[in-house]
Amino acid sequence: MKLCFNWMGQPMVTTALPNHRFFTLLLNQFNRILQHILAPAVSAVLILPLLLMSLFFAPTAPAYAQSATLSPRQVVEYALTLEKLEADFYRRAVAAAQNGPLASAPDVAKAALVSYGQDEAQHVTDLSAVLRSLGGNPDAVTIPANPNYQAILGRDPFANPTDLLQAGQFVEDLGVAAYKGQVQNLLAAGEAGKTVLAGALAIHTVEARHAAGIRFLRQTLLNADVRPWIRNASEVIYNENRGDSPIPFSTPEFDGYATREEVLALVGPILTAAQPSTMTPDQSVAPSSQPMRSTNPSPAVRGLW
Amino acid sequence: MAFPVTFLAKTAPSSRRTLLKWGLVSLGTAMLTGVPKALMAQTGGTKALTFNADDVGILNFALLLEELEAAFYPAAIKSGKITDPKELDYLSALGRHEAAHVKFLRGVLGNKAVFQTSDLSLNQPGLNALLSDRAKILNTAVTLEDLGVHAYNGAGTSLTNPTYLLAAGSIVSVEGRHAAGVRSLLGRPVTEMDSERLVQNADLQANINPFKGRAYDELYTPKQVVAAVGSLKVLNNPINGSLVA
Repeated sequence: MKLCFNWMGQPMVTTALPNHRFFTLLLNQFNRILQHILAPAVSAVLILPLLLMSLFFAPTAPAYAQSATLSPRQVVEYALTLEKLEADFYRRAVAAAQNGPLASAPDVAKAALVSYGQDEAQHVTDLSAVLRSLGGNPDAVTIPANPNYQAILGRDPFANPTDLLQAGQFVEDLGVAAYKGQVQNLLAAGEAGKTVLAGALAIHTVEARHAAGIRFLRQTLLNADVRPWIRNASEVIYNENRGDSPIPFSTPEFDGYATREEVLALVGPILTAAQPSTMTPDQSVAPSSQPMRSTNPSPAVRGLW
Repeated sequence: MAFPVTFLAKTAPSSRRTLLKWGLVSLGTAMLTGVPKALMAQTGGTKALTFNADDVGILNFALLLEELEAAFYPAAIKSGKITDPKELDYLSALGRHEAAHVKFLRGVLGNKAVFQTSDLSLNQPGLNALLSDRAKILNTAVTLEDLGVHAYNGAGTSLTNPTYLLAAGSIVSVEGRHAAGVRSLLGRPVTEMDSERLVQNADLQANINPFKGRAYDELYTPKQVVAAVGSLKVLNNPINGSLVA
């Protein structure tokens, strides 16, 4: 419960931070979606935390552990969604670097985009195979044909190298936290979760390498005040401050985690149709072909939007 | 080279309460009392390090790797071979991080730590060989960090305590960031080619390695990690126990 309040509270008090707009945008969209779901609109400000708790937080969850217990298959579906999104993000970045707005980016940055994109595509391929082996259908785990990437920064992240790398850093850091947020679920599954846990761990640190690589590029090419590691919790878009944990997540020496609910709340606006109010004219081709489900926001939604 | 023991004395008070949450012993005596000398296995005056195949053994094994890293970075800076301010900044940060990991793991282990920092015996000529010039130092840092990643990952599927697993996950991604950061300083790709790995594909344990290749940080067994550490020729202490058998 506290996790939820902390997480909900954090963006409200970080108005001076560069990702404020991102938070606001995400929260606004998330609120809008929830209001849509719950026809008689109640004040979203008041109801949102309560809703999240009642929907997602199992009463037996340990204070500093992850929330809902997901099966290994659910974890794979969730991870596959994120990987498909990351792979798509890099595909677009690479295209923009070839003959688009990123064509002027230094070669070292272009090479990184290609390489990281290949890694994410490999993750998609291999997680798809794992999902099939668990009786799932990777083709049913989809992302929109045109994800609303403007939700990340509040503007087109492929328009220039500065925004691309900032958006990429947010996405990769969140990916690291997302994988970390599932290790306890996979451990809880016992032997049935072992292979997926092994695979998740093998991916988790590669995402950390990507995040660090992008951070290095930002420091080196753009003089950004950033390092390959997270020096301050305000650098990331998930909550690193977990007061109840014996693990000092918010320090530079330790990386934080994010639960599936937290990640989906952040990623949801990217994966749903662009709202008219957030669209600019040249964005008219962006609306998703996969509108957000308007009913049943229960955990049965799993990794599917 | 002396191990940096000073941080042990500076243990933050953060955590008596939190450590109790871990179901482990109280902190007060833990930091001061080691295993009685009389009970130590001795090999030519060098304490043998024994790691059991359980959570405590795994945390002790992780502690050993962190100690080696925490010793390496101050020595690297002291060598005078690193002069670029950015490189010094990175190595200093890495040294601080590894020292914090050592402190954290010692705090968690309390009197279940199977060795004290002062029990470790470094092979000075071996260490000096890794400090001969800038490239050697930075490439050794990459080797250590990559190895740490593979080692934590490999231990991850054996841990039974969920909080330990989350803590290991919290540390290992920082090690991955370190590896990528130093690789970037060298102009090397942030991810590891198969040819760079100290354990080759054929030797990877199949049941904990569903994925292989550049897009993955494969899981090494503790035994494989011990062999890799041995190849660095920096540690004199014999290593044994069911974890690494």
